[in-house]
Amino acid sequence: MIDVDDLCAGYGGEDIIREIAFGAGKGEFVGIIGPNGSGKTTLLKAISRVLDISGGVVTLEGRALKDFGQKELARVVSVVPQETAMNFSYIVGDIVMMGRFPYKGRFTKEDADDYRIVREAMEVTNVAHLKDRKVTEISGGERQRVIIARALAQQPKVILLDEATAHLDINHQVEILSIIRDLGEAVTKIGVFHDLNLAAEFCDRIVLMSEGQVRAIGTPAEVLTMEHLRDEYGITAMVQTNPVTGRPLIVPLSEEVPFALHGARIHIISGGGTGAGLMYMLTAAGCILTTGVLSPMDSDYAAAKQLGIPCISVPAFANITTAVCDELGAYLDEADVIILTAMPVGEGNLPNIQAITSTRRSRLVLYVPPGEEFTDCTPAGDNSFLAAIRAAGCPVVSSRNELYLEVERWVNVQKCCKCD
Amino acid sequence: MPETSRVRTISVITVLTTMLICAFFFALSLGPTTVPFAEFIPDDPLGMFATLFSGGDITKFFSDQTSYLIVYSIRLPRVIAAILVGAGLAAAGVAMQGLFRNSMADPYIIGTSAGGAFGAAFTIVFMGGLFLPVFAFLGAIGSTFLVYAIATRHGRASVETLLLTGIAISMFFSSILSFLMYSAGKSLHQIVFWLMGGFWNVSWNDVWLGLLIPIGGILLIALARDLNILSLGEEDALHLGVNVEQFKRILLFISSAVTAVAVSIAGSIGFIGLITPHVMRLIVGPDHRILFPTSMLAGGLFLLMADTLTRSFLGEMPVGVITSFVGAPFFILLLRRRMRA
Repeated sequence: MIDVDDLCAGYGGEDIIREIAFGAGKGEFVGIIGPNGSGKTTLLKAISRVLDISGGVVTLEGRALKDFGQKELARVVSVVPQETAMNFSYIVGDIVMMGRFPYKGRFTKEDADDYRIVREAMEVTNVAHLKDRKVTEISGGERQRVIIARALAQQPKVILLDEATAHLDINHQVEILSIIRDLGEAVTKIGVFHDLNLAAEFCDRIVLMSEGQVRAIGTPAEVLTMEHLRDEYGITAMVQTNPVTGRPLIVPLSEEVPFALHGARIHIISGGGTGAGLMYMLTAAGCILTTGVLSPMDSDYAAAKQLGIPCISVPAFANITTAVCDELGAYLDEADVIILTAMPVGEGNLPNIQAITSTRRSRLVLYVPPGEEFTDCTPAGDNSFLAAIRAAGCPVVSSRNELYLEVERWVNVQKCCKCD
Repeated sequence: MPETSRVRTISVITVLTTMLICAFFFALSLGPTTVPFAEFIPDDPLGMFATLFSGGDITKFFSDQTSYLIVYSIRLPRVIAAILVGAGLAAAGVAMQGLFRNSMADPYIIGTSAGGAFGAAFTIVFMGGLFLPVFAFLGAIGSTFLVYAIATRHGRASVETLLLTGIAISMFFSSILSFLMYSAGKSLHQIVFWLMGGFWNVSWNDVWLGLLIPIGGILLIALARDLNILSLGEEDALHLGVNVEQFKRILLFISSAVTAVAVSIAGSIGFIGLITPHVMRLIVGPDHRILFPTSMLAGGLFLLMADTLTRSFLGEMPVGVITSFVGAPFFILLLRRRMRA
């Protein structure tokens, strides 16, 4: 449908974007993401011909866009900008009718067809009731829908969105992007996105740009990975899965990542979601993690799967068998440090804890955040398992930072041992 | 267009046209000598026009020969010129405000009046005022070209650069003008009078030149749809299929030519080109297809009334004094109202 091949463009003779290549099929919604200054908007301007390209070509159904006349281009490509300055109080209906301009000669009047197309476009974007209002007197979300109606009135094959929802409230963002996604097969959409979660939610494919070049192209799940976010945006973020849509869901972390722990081998014993946060932080820091035993119903299990952490699991409510215990023992032997988080303990996961007591080689750290505690759900109900562990004299920490320090200290001790 | 605003547009045009026709006849009648309607409206208008077009003598259609001379040789060209100049300045004002997306722009913003004044002063000082309208026209249109040429890079001229270049060139020509005035000696008086703007020297030749204004006006109306789109911003206009750079060149050329014609007839009369579009936009809305014709009617009407006022009651005070004297407070009033809104 539309293909960008080896595209270079920039301002004042200096290329901002270099050798960009990607394509968008019929009806596809392609998102362009990247940090500020990565060239997203420049790319869009080069495609829409606002900017002269210095190399490469953009073709629509095999024909180079630069060969289109200005009006001809406006009949196949329309653009929804981030914001349209409204210095004059035009009537909404007149603004949408401007979308018919490329179909009109200088002296031809708008006919019944034009009015029908304009009406339909306004119905799609839900602004038909604003037809006679002044565009300066409606809200930002309504105005952006009017601009989209105008873009639709152009009856384009490709619609380009330059952060079309960036200035709007979340409800309008979702509403407008839904309208655009639901345009279906007839229109190919290419949009620059600031908000990665919106891009993940609405786009079929995503192009990740950085420093004027394409770094990754693929489905949202392929592109929106922890590694890409770390390398291109320089942030630590959890990439989860939106349980409703199955799309990636990015949660940026403001917490400092313990990079000093890079390469440390850590086994986490947790349950009931008490270890998920640690898994994210330690993965981000580059630790080599293992975890278990967990049940697949556990949210810690989901986190481990998402992060690709090796995890020993048994079905929910099933007992931990001897074979599983041996597996766990092997993991524990491999680890430099074992972290045990404050969690409910029942007969099901008691063997986890018993396994710790039988391994002597590794250092154990108890992680008990404020407000959390071990809950004994075993028949004994007296926290006797805890006493067994505490007897070994392991440190108890209550914050992640303390935990990192403790792990770091122990890793260093072990390094020294190896040196000796 | 919604039905209500269509009705409003038609009524505004009707009212303005009616007022203009009334003002036209009153202007012919009023003056230092009041001429009753009966003495300049012929008994047989059809016969008169037939004679006029066949090149015959039409004086026999009028009872009073003195009144005939006053009205047809002196007042009629002046009245027509005032209407044309007012309409031209208003049209150029609409075009500039649309192009610059700013209702504070006026026809002179890209150096037209300073250039025209320089041309006029040049011929007054060095050639005794010979070909004054021609020099004023050349100065006005020449400075616009200069501004456009300076502001253009790689075939593109951004409106911001045009605006700033216009200011710079205006200042430059003003300084030369000041120098000319300083060294003008006896002809200083003539320059000052020209600068204030007025119609006291207008002849039928000026009217023939002024007929370029309605032609320009029609061309501008033909460009109104493009200008509507351009007034939303240049990138939007590009995306909607407007050949922006070419369109800007055409628009600048037509509106500066119209302004230059107005300046060469009547000097640089202020505020018409700023106020009229502004007021009409408040009344009929921003659609340039309607704004151009209504502003031209209103501009012609306003300048005709102002000129008749000075000619009849104020002893030929330059009309530019009146338009600014009335226009500035009115403009401030509008500004205050907008600040409240």
